[in-house]
Amino acid sequence: MPKILIVDDEQVIRSGCRQILEMNGYQAEEAADGREGLRKLAAEEYDVVLTDILMPEMDGMQLLEEASKLGKDVVFIVITGYATLESAINAGRRGAFDYLPKPFNADELIAKVERALEHRNNLIELRRLREERDRNLLECSNERARTLTIINSMSEGVVAVNRKRQIVLINPAAAKLLRFDDKHVIGMLIEDTIQNPELREIICQSLENVAKTQSFKRLEFTTSWNRTLEAGITPISDEKGEAIGAVAVLSDVTEEKKIEKIKSDFVSYVAHELKAPLGAIEGYLNLIIEGITAGNPEKEREMILKSRDRARGLIALINDLLDLSRIDRKRALKEMGPVDLKDLLQETLDFYRLRAENKSLRLGFAAEADLPPIRGNREDLSRLFANLISNAIKYTPDGGEVKVDLRRTNDHVCVSVSDTGIGISEEAQKYIFDEFYRAPNALAKKITGTGLGLAIAKKIAEDHHGNIRVESRENAGSTFRVFLPVLDRYAAPLANSGHA
Amino acid sequence: MAKRVLLVDDDADFLEIHKTILESGGYEVDTAATGQEALEKIRSRRYDLLIADLIMEELDAGFSLVYAVREEEKTRDLPILMLTSAEERTGFRFQLDKDKEWMKVDDFAAKPLSPAELLKRAAKLTENR
Repeated sequence: MPKILIVDDEQVIRSGCRQILEMNGYQAEEAADGREGLRKLAAEEYDVVLTDILMPEMDGMQLLEEASKLGKDVVFIVITGYATLESAINAGRRGAFDYLPKPFNADELIAKVERALEHRNNLIELRRLREERDRNLLECSNERARTLTIINSMSEGVVAVNRKRQIVLINPAAAKLLRFDDKHVIGMLIEDTIQNPELREIICQSLENVAKTQSFKRLEFTTSWNRTLEAGITPISDEKGEAIGAVAVLSDVTEEKKIEKIKSDFVSYVAHELKAPLGAIEGYLNLIIEGITAGNPEKEREMILKSRDRARGLIALINDLLDLSRIDRKRALKEMGPVDLKDLLQETLDFYRLRAENKSLRLGFAAEADLPPIRGNREDLSRLFANLISNAIKYTPDGGEVKVDLRRTNDHVCVSVSDTGIGISEEAQKYIFDEFYRAPNALAKKITGTGLGLAIAKKIAEDHHGNIRVESRENAGSTFRVFLPVLDRYAAPLANSGHA
Repeated sequence: MAKRVLLVDDDADFLEIHKTILESGGYEVDTAATGQEALEKIRSRRYDLLIADLIMEELDAGFSLVYAVREEEKTRDLPILMLTSAEERTGFRFQLDKDKEWMKVDDFAAKPLSPAELLKRAAKLTENR
C-alpha cells in the first residue's frame, strides 16, 4: 500500500487530503512544517510527498532541497496557492515532479498522486535498470581486464588486426617474437610493423572474403634474425560473415625444428647403418643361391662366416641403439643408489679377462682403498666401463697392456682406462664421442664397431653429473678418464653405513 | 680381351660380393676402398667401367671421385655406375632423368643388387668399349 506524506502548516488541508487519500486506499501521514516533514522522510520510506511551499520553520523549497540530499526515490508534488508558472518551474527545478494548484478537489488530488506513483515506479525501475547496467559494465570491465591479463601472460604471441590492417591488440610475447615495442604499434598498419612478407600476406588473405574462406591458416616462417616461428591465423567475422579483423597466434618453434632435424638425421643414419650389413648378407646369400661360388666350397664357407660377422655386428648395433634409448629415458625413472665402483670394475674386468687372454693382453687393475661409493645406476655404469674396457682390448694389438685405475680426486672419483693401442689422432678426438663416428685408423685397420660405444659412455657419464675425457696420440695408446661426483651423504665408506 | 672394371666401396663385403659376381661374368676386376686409391688406379691404367659407392668414409666421397674422373681428359668417357644404400640420406631420388646431368654418372643402382642385375648393367655400360 503506497504511503503518502502531507506537509502543510494548514491543518484543514492536511486532514482533508489524508481523508481523501485513505478513502482511495492509500496510507497517509501528516507533518505540520518542513522540518517535521524532513524528519519523517529521513526516518521512513514514503512514495509521494505533498508539500505546501509557504510554511514556517522550513518552506517547501528548502524541504525539496534537503530531501534530495537523502537520496530517496520519493516523488514530490508541490501544493501551491499561486498557480503561477513561475513557482511551478521553480519547484520543478528543485526536483518536484508536479504541482497541485489550490484550491483543488479530490479527483484532482488522486489523479496527481496516481501520476506521481506511476512516475515513482518508473524511477524505481529506471534505477534498477541503471544498477543492472552498471553491474554489467563492472563485470564487463572486470571480464575485459581478466581477459587482457590472461592474453598478456601467454607465452604464445597474440596479435589482432582490424579490417583496415591496423594492429588493435598485441601481447608482450608477440612484441618480443616480432621484435617490436608493443606500446607504439597499436593503431599502426601491419605493412609498417610486421617485417615478414609471408605473415603480412597471410593476415591480408584472412581479412578478405571471409564468408568464402572461414578457415584457420597456418604458417611457418623464418625471421631475419633466424628464428623459426609458427603462426596460426584466424579471421574474425561479424554475424554476416564479413571480415572485421584477424587474430594471429605466434610461437617460437626454433628449438623443436632443431630437435626434429637431429632426430630425422639420426633415423636416416640408423637406417643406413642397418641396411649396409643386411645388404652384404643378402649379397653373399645371392652368390651362394645362384651357384656363382658353387665350384669353390672354401670360398662359400668364407662367405657364410662373413655373413655371420655382419649379422653379429648388426645385433651389436641394435643392442647399442637400445642402450641409447634406454639411457635417454627419463632419469627420474631410473633407480639411483650407492654403487661400489671397485666391485663393479672387478666384475667387468672378469667378464673381459678371457677376451684379453686370447690377444695375450695384460689386464691390470689398481684401486685406492676406502673409496666412498658413488650414487648411480649400476646397470648404466656397468655399460659405461664395459664399453671403455672392451674398446681398449679391441684397439690394442696382441701383446699389449690395458690398465684400469680407480682413485679419488677432491669431490670426484676418477676411473681411468688406458691402453697401449693404436691411439686416436688429434683430429679424430674432436668427434670420438659423436654417434656413429669411427676414427679413420680404426676403419683402415678394419676393426669392427658400431660407432655408438663412446656416445653411450658419454651420455651415461653426463647422466651421473660426471664427464669423460680422452688423452691419446696416434700409435701411442689412449687413456679414457671418467669423473663421477662423490655425494656427501655417501661420503662414509660402505662398511660404516648405518652407523651415522 | 676381357673388360676391366674398377670397384670402389668402403665396405669390404660389398667389394668381395661384386668382385665375385663380375668375375663370374668374365670381367677382370680391381678394387679400391677409398676415392683416393681409386683415382690413383684410374690414372695408372685403363678401365672399361667404374662402379663406385656413393658414400665412402664421408658423405660426398662418391661425388668427388666422379667429378675428378670427369675432369681428366683421359678418363672423361669412362662409364660410371653409382651404387648406394643410402637414398634416404642424400635426399636425391637417384633417377637417371633427373640427376644424371649434374651427377655425371651413366647409371644408378640401389644396394644390394642381384647378381643378374649387376651383370646386366655392367654389360650395357661396357658394350661400346
